[in-house]
Amino acid sequence: MDVFAELRKILEELLDLEGKEITMETFLIQDLGAESIDLLELAVTINSRFKVTVKDDEIFLTRFRLYSVEAKEQGRDVVHCVAAKYPFLTEARIEEIMSHIKDGPQLKVRDLISYVTHKSREA
Amino acid sequence: MNITFSGNRALVLGGSCEIARAVARSMIRSDLFPILTYRNDRGLNSIREALQPFYGRYETCYLDFGDRDSLDSNFSHICDDISFLVDFVQGNYESLIAGADEESVYGYFMENISFRAEVLKRAGRAMLKKRKGRLIYISSSAAARPNPGQGFYAAAKLASEALYRNLGLELAERGVTTAVLRPGYVEAGRGRIFLHKQDTKSLESVPIKRALTIDEIAETILFLLSDNAIGINATEICMDGGLTAGK
Repeated sequence: MDVFAELRKILEELLDLEGKEITMETFLIQDLGAESIDLLELAVTINSRFKVTVKDDEIFLTRFRLYSVEAKEQGRDVVHCVAAKYPFLTEARIEEIMSHIKDGPQLKVRDLISYVTHKSREA
Repeated sequence: MNITFSGNRALVLGGSCEIARAVARSMIRSDLFPILTYRNDRGLNSIREALQPFYGRYETCYLDFGDRDSLDSNFSHICDDISFLVDFVQGNYESLIAGADEESVYGYFMENISFRAEVLKRAGRAMLKKRKGRLIYISSSAAARPNPGQGFYAAAKLASEALYRNLGLELAERGVTTAVLRPGYVEAGRGRIFLHKQDTKSLESVPIKRALTIDEIAETILFLLSDNAIGINATEICMDGGLTAGK
């Protein structure tokens, strides 16, 4: 199954985005305007469509900022600590998120793809 | 009155109580398919006895709010395919706040609030998948006017009401709505025992001067589940004969 193609279809359906360009680099919240209820429905649909367990906090990086602040306060390597919480993200991606986190929510389509792929391998 | 229902399968939590069994009978007569939960053999047997004439038109499912493992068994599978949920579950813990046992308090809130939240998460997500669902919580007028010793009961009821209210606020735009029913004195279960102990003195403060019947509550719940009642969302309805309306 082409995970990106399927995810794009799901996003178009849920967010009513027919015709809008969606790429791997599209931000879910900043570009597509996804709200909490949309993310909830997205989690449920991903679970149903891809048959993977979805933990909302994990897939949507809800606690990313909290984990990085905690790691910093404890004097630990922030990237390694955050990577342990989000094993589906590469360290390069984690560094990219950290460098732009002040610009707003950093969740991208490619993060969802990484999550689904990772969970599918686990299953 | 023409009453219609969008859906068929109805999960009835705490299905062994008298009112739940009456609701199940009303559901079956309205061509709904109730699935009643029980937590022990006595509960299962009471369901089977009460619904004997309706064999094959309902199911039962083990679910114990005190047993987290019961969430992952048959219950999850059933939860995936329901259009309605009616929640009668309520544990009992009576104690003055300043005299309560800490372990009992922790356990009581774990069962009656945390576990309920987990059930609602599963049911809410299942209904969200279909963009359709109706959840009714059976609270009590005692939630608004508890007697001394009923503080924990009231706290659990009010917290549960808030969960249902917010679920209705959060998911209504996706077709999932909720309502809370607060019955007053009822001739059933704990209510019957209380009223007979009081020698019906309590009924003097009820404007209609009597307790509610099981069938009255059952039919009201059925109405609340119907398409006709969708506009009643994320709110509480008092059904106590006017008990809490006055001083």
